[in-house]
Amino acid sequence: MEKTRKSKKRLKAAKELNRLVVDYYLECNEAKAVGRPVGWMPPMNGAIEIFYAMDLQPVFPENWSPVCAAFGLTPQNFEITDGLGYSRDLCGYLRNITGYVHGEMNDERIPLGGLPEPDILLSPGGGCIPVMKIFHILERRFPEAKVFYADLPQVAMEKIQRHHIDYAVSEMHRLIEFLTEVTGRELDYDRLKEVVKLSDQACALWDEIMSYRRFVPAPFSAAEIGIMFVMVTRQGTQEAVDFLTAVRDEVQEKAESGTGVIEEEKIRLFWDNIPLWYNMGLFNYFEKMGGVVVAETYSAAWSLRLDPQNPVEALAMKSLISYPLVSCVSVEKRKEMVLKACREYSIDGAILHRNKSCVPITLGQMDIKKALEVELGVPSVIIDADHMDDQNFSVAQFETRVDAFMEMLLEKKGHEW
Amino acid sequence: MSSVSVEPFVSALNESEYHLREMAREGKKIIGYFCTYTPVELIHAAGFLPVRVMGGVGEVNDAYSLAPNFICPPLLLSLEKALKGEYEYLSGIVQGYTCDVVCGMVNIWEENIGGEIYHTIPLPYNDNPASREFFRSCISELSHKMESIGGTITEDSLTESLDLYAGIRKIVLGLYDKLSAGLLPLSAADLFHVIRAGFVMSPEAYFDMLKLLQNEVENAEIPGRRGIPVLVSGSLVEDPRAFTILEEVGGRVVSDDLCTGFRNFYPPDGEGDDAVGRLIDRYMKRFPCPSRIRAKERAPLLIELVKHSGAKGVLFLFEKFCTPHLADYPILRQELIKENIPGIVVETEETGIMEGQLRTRLQGFIEMLES
Ligand code: SF4
Ligand code: SF4
Repeated sequence: MEKTRKSKKRLKAAKELNRLVVDYYLECNEAKAVGRPVGWMPPMNGAIEIFYAMDLQPVFPENWSPVCAAFGLTPQNFEITDGLGYSRDLCGYLRNITGYVHGEMNDERIPLGGLPEPDILLSPGGGCIPVMKIFHILERRFPEAKVFYADLPQVAMEKIQRHHIDYAVSEMHRLIEFLTEVTGRELDYDRLKEVVKLSDQACALWDEIMSYRRFVPAPFSAAEIGIMFVMVTRQGTQEAVDFLTAVRDEVQEKAESGTGVIEEEKIRLFWDNIPLWYNMGLFNYFEKMGGVVVAETYSAAWSLRLDPQNPVEALAMKSLISYPLVSCVSVEKRKEMVLKACREYSIDGAILHRNKSCVPITLGQMDIKKALEVELGVPSVIIDADHMDDQNFSVAQFETRVDAFMEMLLEKKGHEW
Repeated sequence: MSSVSVEPFVSALNESEYHLREMAREGKKIIGYFCTYTPVELIHAAGFLPVRVMGGVGEVNDAYSLAPNFICPPLLLSLEKALKGEYEYLSGIVQGYTCDVVCGMVNIWEENIGGEIYHTIPLPYNDNPASREFFRSCISELSHKMESIGGTITEDSLTESLDLYAGIRKIVLGLYDKLSAGLLPLSAADLFHVIRAGFVMSPEAYFDMLKLLQNEVENAEIPGRRGIPVLVSGSLVEDPRAFTILEEVGGRVVSDDLCTGFRNFYPPDGEGDDAVGRLIDRYMKRFPCPSRIRAKERAPLLIELVKHSGAKGVLFLFEKFCTPHLADYPILRQELIKENIPGIVVETEETGIMEGQLRTRLQGFIEMLES
């Protein structure tokens, strides 16, 4: 296997997804050209719906990193960041985006036109340290941008109480006031309700799509996880709902007709932690031995519902619930989620990506490993890698570990290999 | 004239484990914390003893079965100790959310070490009336939790604790003033022991010891400390050898920006209409750790500290893999360069520092500052 490789996609929707990605980045750059305010924000929070409702353009630097990885731009971005004196031990998202914004951001060689410079920065107080530091770096790089200093309680999902919600709601209102002031645009609350409703529909569709992966054989694998692009960038739009509806229909049809990813699905796998964005082909690696990655931890990030009648609180809750998935979530909760997924998706084995770039998700993984073994008898294997930097990934080590793991699983299930 | 000895502090440190075990056996609840953003006054006011969990220097083995090798050494070493039973006397951990590693570690401890109270406080990042009100709710949530394990917090008990800790901080800040002025008859390593003892002692006993030390310092003959003045900035320091080497090669530590140093003490107290208000005010205004603030806001504070202390350069002493510090460093460096303040970076590993290599580098740094 090569160190960097694209995944093999089998869903028809994958083609449509390519168009959506191109359209989205085109829209971002057009916004700049026509003077629609562009705001950069961290992923997975309730501000995205407010942006769409106010006809502002949201841009997600964290999502740009997988794009850079897919196009092979990461090494040159890292080089610029190294040159600025940043440690190579920092999260790859931080290293990638820092290099990108300090390089030729909109050079014609940059795919998709690059990112438009921000008019607004939603700089988070909350989430993980790297994501906060990314925005501190952006604030310095784009001194003209208007900065919203956001604050969000760092509390584990199961510990959320009224005072956390109240504070998150008051922060949402402060954000709306800030956006009104700096853009001169008013928020129409009826429009917001519609957007939140669309967002809720997208979440419901997401859950439904994921539920079809319970079918044996599974209708699609983690190799197709790029579909989450719409959850990251398009939540609250009709476009997302339409796309997800098409995906749902396709997946449903496959599941019900018993069409799997490969001819004979022998082993069902679970993936923990962020994928290796520069090597999504890794998800296909298991296929030669009959393995399919049918579930992963991070798809749970959008497994929530939003009440359109109470849109501001719904968005505050969204921020409180989804972001802790990558920072302050308790081991207890993560264990519960992984175990539940392993039961529901009939998992035979789990792959735990010990991700040098993401400490928050990696910490606690060993407890999950133990729980999988003790409570479910599900074996797991640790893969040492990094979601952005291929220097921290050894193909040989990966293959040795995975081959041995797969052989063991096959034997356990009485298959020949 | 009398001499100044930090011996009592060193023995308090060495004997702390024994004493803490005894106290726990006698029924005192001891609550651990990792970072200095934990409101120790509140824990103390509840009738418990707050103790800072430290990793020291050593080898990591068992901790790797629970945590990856790319997190900071102090937390790996603390976990190692805990797995060996060295923190058995703790009733749990209360921690203000600072960095992701600490947050993750609280979870891992809760799962594997156990105890009756584990709590992370989601400290607000902004300082405004709404965030302070939120902070107040967080304090009350924690108070209830502590009451549920037998603590009692009253306006009076909290006021007393605030007074006690303010007293301690004032004395230590006085020592820092003398340090900067070259009038402290203690080496940087000595001061380090004095401060470290405070993390594992009862504040009442520590306060008494500090008063004695303060007295000795006042009456001591000042040896006129020499050396090129340097400020040390970074995460936490578990191994004072770096200070000693710096002083051996001709430097002199005149101040620091460390959470095992100045950052833990400044300001000594806060203001407020009631005890909780006073507590909140101090934690909102405290000298910031990079996990809580932007480099652009921290840089001027650091520069002021450098100028005020008379330092000619900054030794950045980072724990390996410490994201908040490593991520801020390039911006701090740019700001320091604008002020013509040179700096050098040293990263520490579990086994402490590599002495030979460090000596050569620090020697070069001091020579550069001299010229
Ligand atoms: S959650 Fe992980 S990957 Fe995302 S920015 Fe934080 S450390 Fe990096
Ligand atoms: S701030 Fe740095 S040194 Fe302190 S606990 Fe976090 S990672 Fe470790």
